Amino acid sequence: MRSARRLPAIYSTPLRLTAILLAIFVVAASVAFSVAYLVVRSGFDAALRQDIDQTVATYRAIDNQDDLVERLSEDAAASHPEVRILQYLPDSGPRVSNIDRFPPLSGYAIVSEHEITAPDDLAESYVARSVRVGRGQLIIAQTRERVIEMGEVFLMILLMGLLPTLGIAAGAGYLVARRARAKLDAIQTTLSDLSAGHLAARVETGSNDNDLSGIGHAVNSMAAAQEALVMSMRQISGDIAHDLKTPIQRVAVILDQIRQKTELSAGQPELVDRALAETDRIVTTFQALLQLAQIEGGAVRDRLVATELRSLAEGIVDFLGPDAEDLGFRLDLVAEGPGPFSVVGDGQLLGQVLVNLIENALRHAPGGGTILVGLATEAGRVILTVADSGPGIPETERANVLRRLYRLERSRTTDGNGLGLALVAAVCDLHVAHLTLEDNAPGLRVRMVFPKAANLRSPAQLNAPKNH
Amino acid sequence: MKILVIEDDATTGAYIADGLREEGHTVDLMVNGAEGLIQASVGTYDVLIVDRMLPGIDGISLVKTMRGAKNHTPVIFLTSLGGVDDRIEGLNAGGDDYLTKPFAFGELSARIAAIGRRPQMQDEPTVLRAADLEMNLLTRKVSRAGQPIDLLPREFSLLEHLLRRKGRVQTRTMLMEAVWDIHFDPQTNVVDTHISRLRGKVDKPFATELIETVRGSGYRIEAT
Repeated sequence: MRSARRLPAIYSTPLRLTAILLAIFVVAASVAFSVAYLVVRSGFDAALRQDIDQTVATYRAIDNQDDLVERLSEDAAASHPEVRILQYLPDSGPRVSNIDRFPPLSGYAIVSEHEITAPDDLAESYVARSVRVGRGQLIIAQTRERVIEMGEVFLMILLMGLLPTLGIAAGAGYLVARRARAKLDAIQTTLSDLSAGHLAARVETGSNDNDLSGIGHAVNSMAAAQEALVMSMRQISGDIAHDLKTPIQRVAVILDQIRQKTELSAGQPELVDRALAETDRIVTTFQALLQLAQIEGGAVRDRLVATELRSLAEGIVDFLGPDAEDLGFRLDLVAEGPGPFSVVGDGQLLGQVLVNLIENALRHAPGGGTILVGLATEAGRVILTVADSGPGIPETERANVLRRLYRLERSRTTDGNGLGLALVAAVCDLHVAHLTLEDNAPGLRVRMVFPKAANLRSPAQLNAPKNH
Repeated sequence: MKILVIEDDATTGAYIADGLREEGHTVDLMVNGAEGLIQASVGTYDVLIVDRMLPGIDGISLVKTMRGAKNHTPVIFLTSLGGVDDRIEGLNAGGDDYLTKPFAFGELSARIAAIGRRPQMQDEPTVLRAADLEMNLLTRKVSRAGQPIDLLPREFSLLEHLLRRKGRVQTRTMLMEAVWDIHFDPQTNVVDTHISRLRGKVDKPFATELIETVRGSGYRIEAT
């Protein structure tokens, strides 16, 4: 299929760019906040340690062990463990503490409330120092309440700052991305319309200048150039048709007048008839070339309508049947399944395809044989085949025979202008049908797979104004 | 019949005009589209033969203008183009028939006859007759001199077409278009084969031939 595949939104470049920008913003903001938080927190922790060190220094200044224990007992009783924990384990004598149990530690550490056993409420975490004072081991733990509060404040600032920013950025980004995507979609649709041969397709470009409207303008001028080219091609083929066919018409007229109105000696009427037949051949070849140019130019595309291939094939088989029979052929239509075998197409052109293929088979298999026109459906696609029991086409030649004016060596002496299969190929192309030449062992099988009808847009849709 | 030919090529124009005069028609010949349009509007003609490519106004615009002015004179287009598309375009513009150059005079003549005497809307006959041949359109039975003739559906259509246009030549192209709806040129004499089969059933067993070959044109069943 030529029409553009519409990818899910995630593949849209503007949306992806927006998402990437948002992600970068979130990461950058988080990193900045984390760094600030860590710096502030280590400042707080340092201050707490300094506090603890000062207290330790005060206790160390007391020389007498009994005074020390007494002072510590007083302090422990006066300190609420939510603020400060004191625990002194003298080398001998009872333990002094305002809690039940503190985990063993050495030096500085951060201790969470879960590790501490106490009857009272505790703070979430503490900066603790274990140090030797007098004749015993002293642990002082200072609440980190402020550090934790500071962390919460930071988190609040982060969330309150970041979330609305994120929301606004995402919303604006989405809107911008959607507009860009709509423009890109319009460009893509136009391009696939153009490549499908609808040369009047244009991108709707707004008044504001940006890179996308720039591309839109570029696409439009390319389309205009192509349309002009095709128009002039059509004009030229029209002119050539007129300028060449008029003289051929004159020749035919003059020959006709010679035959009708002059005294001819023996044998001369036959010569005139032969000359007339030759003018017919010239015109036929010429007509076929013109028609090919027209079909390839897409002139007929807007005329494609729902066409039932069964009745069409029946008509053609019926039309050519007596001729085939006279030449010793069996010509039959074989429809697999009940149908319908409906395609979007042009009945005249498809009829011509069938006639060309059947006539080819008749022409290239002297002595007769079997020609089967087949109709089948496969996964919603209609398949039309023409199979013969003739000499077939060598595999290496199959691509060549679809070219215009190409003829197999052995066919040079037979009738035909080498345009029959080229027309078949052009008509298949017009119908977006897949054409293959296969070995019928023996013979040739021409197979045309038409697209599902839904894949072809109706002419009405094509002509409808585009709103992007 | 009074016929206006609008054709810019002198040779072709004179050939058509002379040929038609010989057949007993009154012919006016114009070589310019604009003048042709004026002539078509002021004169009363039975048939117009219009080339598509004309100096002044092209044939399509000419006929469209005529039809716009409620002039319904039958028009046969002559064209060098003759692609499938051109045919449709010509007929859509209001043309009644279409002939691709180069054409044999017999073809043009047969088409003028067909168009000039289009079968009028009258009571649909149920039986068509020619000499001792009888075709019943209701029972779809054919007999000649009382003897039933067995025809295939397509042979029936072909014979019916000729019978309905008794006395008028039907060219191979006209038969292909009317009986098989084929508007392109198959490179074989298929119509001749069909006629010969039909003759085998309708003419051969009998003393006189009903289906007549008109040299250079086509076939005809003589009006009786």
